[in-house]
Amino acid sequence: MNKKSALLIILILVGTIVLTQSVFTVDQTEEALVLQLGKPVYPDPLGPGLHFKLPLVQDVVYFDSRILDYDAKPEEITTEDKKYMNIDSFAKWRIANPLVFYQKVRTIPGAQARLDDIIRSQLRVSLGRYTLIEVVSRKRPEIMTNVTARTKKQLEPYGIEVIDVRIKRTDLPPENATAIFGRMKAERERQAKQYRSEGQEAMARIKAKADKERSIILAEAEKQAEEQRGQGDAKATAIYAEALGQSPEFYGFMRSLDAYRKSFKDKSRFIFTPESPFLKYFQ
Amino acid sequence: MNWDWEKLQKQRQGNTGGTPPGFDDFNEQFKKLKSFKLPGGKIVLLAVALLWLLSGIYIVEPDEVGVVKRFGAFSRITTSGPHYHIPYPVESVLTPKVTQIRRIEMGFRSMTRNRSVPFRQGQERGVPDESLMLTGDENIVSVQFIVQYLIKDAKDYLFNVKDVEATIKNAASAAMREVIGKSKIDDALTTGKQEIQASTRELMQHILDLYKSGISIVAVQMQNVHPPDQVVDAFKDVASAREDKSRFINEAQAYSNDILPKARGQAARITNAAQAYSEAKIRRSQGEASRFLAVLKEYKKAKDITRRRLYLETMESILSNPDAEKLILSDDALKKSIPYLPLDTVRRGKTADTAKQ
Repeated sequence: MNKKSALLIILILVGTIVLTQSVFTVDQTEEALVLQLGKPVYPDPLGPGLHFKLPLVQDVVYFDSRILDYDAKPEEITTEDKKYMNIDSFAKWRIANPLVFYQKVRTIPGAQARLDDIIRSQLRVSLGRYTLIEVVSRKRPEIMTNVTARTKKQLEPYGIEVIDVRIKRTDLPPENATAIFGRMKAERERQAKQYRSEGQEAMARIKAKADKERSIILAEAEKQAEEQRGQGDAKATAIYAEALGQSPEFYGFMRSLDAYRKSFKDKSRFIFTPESPFLKYFQ
Repeated sequence: MNWDWEKLQKQRQGNTGGTPPGFDDFNEQFKKLKSFKLPGGKIVLLAVALLWLLSGIYIVEPDEVGVVKRFGAFSRITTSGPHYHIPYPVESVLTPKVTQIRRIEMGFRSMTRNRSVPFRQGQERGVPDESLMLTGDENIVSVQFIVQYLIKDAKDYLFNVKDVEATIKNAASAAMREVIGKSKIDDALTTGKQEIQASTRELMQHILDLYKSGISIVAVQMQNVHPPDQVVDAFKDVASAREDKSRFINEAQAYSNDILPKARGQAARITNAAQAYSEAKIRRSQGEASRFLAVLKEYKKAKDITRRRLYLETMESILSNPDAEKLILSDDALKKSIPYLPLDTVRRGKTADTAKQ
């Protein structure tokens, strides 16, 4: 009984070891190569799922099947117009052919080193053909497409598929940035000055126009007033002339009397001689 | 030997149908274990087996999907609710939150990451390395923005791209800089934001679709776009200069609005006064004319006596003034006294003399 169970335990143990040595799973994010004493067993890599191999003689090498990241260090590049700029780029790549990949670069860090060499030089070459502003602005998508295509071609022999090379950041070295800041400042100062003087110009215009209008309004009013007064005066003169013309002599008399009455209202001194008609009956 | 394993696997995959693979294995093992005797071992084994079976139960929350892998390979997607998968080591489940909108901050970091402090606007720290970018007109602008995204395809999200978050960040950086690189600084600072946001979102989506990342960009929102610190004062001065300009114009318009109505009022006063003068003058003349004509009519009837009466009445009214000094001198005396009379009095006397007639 004891012997039997001990044998069973040993059997189970051995079975488990054999099983774990011969069964392996490949994750959805991976691919695997099975190597029999260094020689690949299948022409194609194994996809995700449960797989079997011979224990001891066969080995499994796993590869990430996902899209991987290569983030380059920012580096200084000279543009066609001899300006310096810091280019920070990244690339997306994946292992297209694990066997070739394993043979040529073996590991992901090894691949990164290859990517670094090739992308860096390609960027340098491509960017050198364009001016700074083209890199920053109009030609950027074009440059990236070109660099992607070229690096893709160059990295194919390594079992690497480059999916995308993208310029993340295009910055200016500090000295150039300072120059740009200076220019920006000057531009804005000019703009500010322009706004202010434009404002003053508009102010002067509006005020002068208002002053002018005021003068015209007042002068026009004076003109109308004079005309009006003249018309009144003329009419009155005509009326007077018509009425008074009927007896100028009597008008003279009446008007004189009126004038006396008005003129000698206040304290006045009258000197009469006895011959005055007023004193005719006085003597 | 190796081929046998392969065949076995293929056979099994063909046979599975109702029961998933692994169950047969399990039953066989179970039978074996049944015959294996230990004191009280049966119950323990049974309990262990039960626990093992129960470990396959999993719940997918409403904001999640369940992604089941069998031996590492993608098998199926399950929706929210309770589900069962074959327990370890055959199947495993991942439950990414697919309805949750995630957020990435670019160019700044909120200070209040910890839960204990409630989120407060403005408590953030800039990351100039991320935020400073070149515009198409060779200026530098600082752009702080957030990206909101969600998982649109859980399978792609989990299995296609390594480090999705970093990928999104890189894509955001590249896309925003590409779009800003095509824009002018004034557009970025003022009216062009909407368009920049839309283009960046589109470009990011394009990049992430290219990687089959399973990510959907919900929104790109620019938080704080401003000129770099080195030149911000100059930019602010432009804004205040623009304000100054409109202030000047407003002031001038106020001046204009002040003086013109006043002038019009003054003009009305002048013309009205003239009208009044003229009307008054006419009416006075008409009145005086009528008066004269009326008197004249009567005068013509009795010329002499009316003349005398009018003269005497006038003289009376003048001389009855208590202030009037009257002096009667003979002609001789007058002639002699002339040298002694004050000049103005003489003048008056002369005037008085005209009244003689």
